[in-house]
Amino acid sequence: MSEKGEVDLTGAKQNTGVWLVKVPKYLSQQWAKASGRGEVGKLRIGKNQGKAEVEFTLNEDLTMIDSLGDKPSGVQAPRDHPFTMQTVGGQTLAVFTETQSGKEQISLEGLVVQRAECRPAVSENYMKLKRLQIEELSKPVRLSQQLEKAVTTNYKPVANHSYNLEYDRKKKEEGKRARVDKQQVLDMLFSAFEKHQYYNIKDLVDITKQPVSYLKEILRDIGIYNVKGTHKNTWELKPEYRHYQGGEEEEEKETND
Amino acid sequence: MASLGGSSSSSTEYIVRVPKNTSKKYSIMAFNSGDKVNCSSWTQARMERDMSNRRMYGVEETEGAAGSEFGKKQREEARRKKFGIVTREFKVEDQPWILKVNGKAGKRFKGTKKGGITENASYYIFTQCPDGAFEAFPVNGWYNFVPQAKHRTLTAEEAEEEWGRRNKVVNHFSIMLQRRLREQERGPDDDDEEGEKGGKKKKKKGGRGGDLRIHDLEDDLELSSDESDSSGGEDGDSKPKKKEGDVKGKGKKKKKKKRGSDSEANEDSDDGDFEGLEVDYMSDESSSEEEVGEEKAKSNKEAVPKGIDEASESEEESEEEKQNEEEGKEEEEEEEGKKTPVQTKKKRDSSGESDTSEDSDIDGEAASALFMKKRTPPKRGGGRGSGGSSRTGSRPGTPSIDSASTSNTLRAAASKLEQGKRQVVGGSSESPAAKRLKMESSSTAVTTQSPAPSGKSTPQPPSGKSTPSSSDVQLTEEAVRRYLIRKPMTTKDLLKKFQTKRTGLSSEQTVNVLAQILKRLNPERKNVNDKMHFYLTE
Repeated sequence: MSEKGEVDLTGAKQNTGVWLVKVPKYLSQQWAKASGRGEVGKLRIGKNQGKAEVEFTLNEDLTMIDSLGDKPSGVQAPRDHPFTMQTVGGQTLAVFTETQSGKEQISLEGLVVQRAECRPAVSENYMKLKRLQIEELSKPVRLSQQLEKAVTTNYKPVANHSYNLEYDRKKKEEGKRARVDKQQVLDMLFSAFEKHQYYNIKDLVDITKQPVSYLKEILRDIGIYNVKGTHKNTWELKPEYRHYQGGEEEEEKETND
Repeated sequence: MASLGGSSSSSTEYIVRVPKNTSKKYSIMAFNSGDKVNCSSWTQARMERDMSNRRMYGVEETEGAAGSEFGKKQREEARRKKFGIVTREFKVEDQPWILKVNGKAGKRFKGTKKGGITENASYYIFTQCPDGAFEAFPVNGWYNFVPQAKHRTLTAEEAEEEWGRRNKVVNHFSIMLQRRLREQERGPDDDDEEGEKGGKKKKKKGGRGGDLRIHDLEDDLELSSDESDSSGGEDGDSKPKKKEGDVKGKGKKKKKKKRGSDSEANEDSDDGDFEGLEVDYMSDESSSEEEVGEEKAKSNKEAVPKGIDEASESEEESEEEKQNEEEGKEEEEEEEGKKTPVQTKKKRDSSGESDTSEDSDIDGEAASALFMKKRTPPKRGGGRGSGGSSRTGSRPGTPSIDSASTSNTLRAAASKLEQGKRQVVGGSSESPAAKRLKMESSSTAVTTQSPAPSGKSTPQPPSGKSTPSSSDVQLTEEAVRRYLIRKPMTTKDLLKKFQTKRTGLSSEQTVNVLAQILKRLNPERKNVNDKMHFYLTE
């Protein structure tokens, strides 16, 4: 794992040259549909009276455009795409790769020596394709639609909601909170305060399952009630019972009783 | 690859493949053309994601008993949801890269992801395979790599301050220096910063200019510091004016002005913000307005005087009142630099501009001298000597401290400072001479120790040696005579000269004595600007 972060510079050293080509979206979509070894087309590089001409021809089987929706588009992608060659300019563009799986290795693949834009040759096909695209894009994202019948399936009147029934049942089963021994309650409280310093009375009731008044009495003994400040309306232990630095000790228990 | 024959064109065909399941993700690393990056010259490189933006939300709270509330996390989250605060997720793939080339000493680059490149068009990398076919890989991300500066830079706040002072600071080199000084202060205090004197480059130009700082308390010339621009400003800690010997690296003088003021929490001040402020300063009484006729000092005040301030605060108060009344409105005060809170209490009645230049310089000097003396007495020795030429030379304190005995009185220290300063100053002539001059012309050193040619004040720059007001001023007939010979003065001016702090007399006494002296001298009168001026011709 010492290789993490280390960049493999073979590409840079060999001065491997690559081309950076800008490709239209529809074409890259078609390329994604390629099968087998991934052959997508042919690239023809020619020198015509001194000027280099580069043209890409899409494979026949990749020209079917899928459209959104049910009906087949009937549109074919254009096949011929001349490349417009551009210079890199002063910029230095390097290509690096990361391997994702498991071992992450970054390596410099090479430098961009040529930039190009892949343009579709203007043709009937292309126009149709463009039209299709525009139609799809111009559809609004949100649609207002009038319904013939009102929707009645969502909220039905109910004698009592199931949630309420559950709640009542729970309440009955739990019963009123019973007071247990003061000592036990204190134990519970102290262990709770070991975890956090400030507690809401409701939370304490929840933790200890004691009736509120009883709990309040006990709390009045050992704790104080913060009315103001950041921890509003919270209970905390009295300072003599507290021991927050350096770990909890049981001295609270000692001071108790 | 089929070769097609063409009439005048020859072309070759290549098959293009888009490999399907490649585990590699391709990205572009873009450098600026100006950076002249040559990848082949890299021997070794390391690149990692810059995780500095990752914040562990919620972990900041102390998890533990003390200070925590039950259910705080849930409550915080509910609160955030209620207000619709959406914290953006931290995506590792979007984080910038940190690229280090050629090890520790090499270059560093930061690569930020450029957004939106895959939105409308896709980029593919075409590489040629050994079998002649092209393989096209889609580009996953585009990162713009910029080199990271290893040298120190100013923060935005500092840069803004300096921008405001751009017309005043001549010595840009001092800016970064001061900043470093300040940082050092905040760090270990005991660094030896004296050594630099020798090493200091000869920054004649603005050598002292850089050290000047605007002071409110122009009157106390000897206490004004000659420091570089780092105006102590309001930072509470008085910074000893230690310079660093680290000059060598700074061959490249940063053309940035730095206001000596602390980088911590200084508010922006525009020119003229401080006009009319009252100064509660060690300098006896009158604040700046005293310094009549001084042009604006470009110097900035430093915080060091504050040290002395505290020491002698008591003296001031009473004087101030008196001076207040007597102060003419001629001078206006103009304060550029920031001052410590104590010092920024300028007198309200100051109308004119008073530059603090020398005063402040000396003040600062004295202050720093005192201060430094307290802190690092042993180091003084090194400082001496580097005569004027460099601004180090003008660095206050050090030489003076040496000579200064342990006198703790403000006056003594200040006077000693002045001595030192004068010697030191001799060399550096670049100080904004005019200002200094003006100041000198207005105030003559009446003290015993002014060997300098008080003489006719000429607005010429003998700066160095001049007689910035010295510390011990005796209200003698001789002194008054000298003043009046030099230039016509009003009673108010004269009073300013003999500040109670310096002469040790109370305001009333000063007035009385001065009146008597004037009676004796019987100077001639002349009306200038509707004010009665006295003068003597000898």
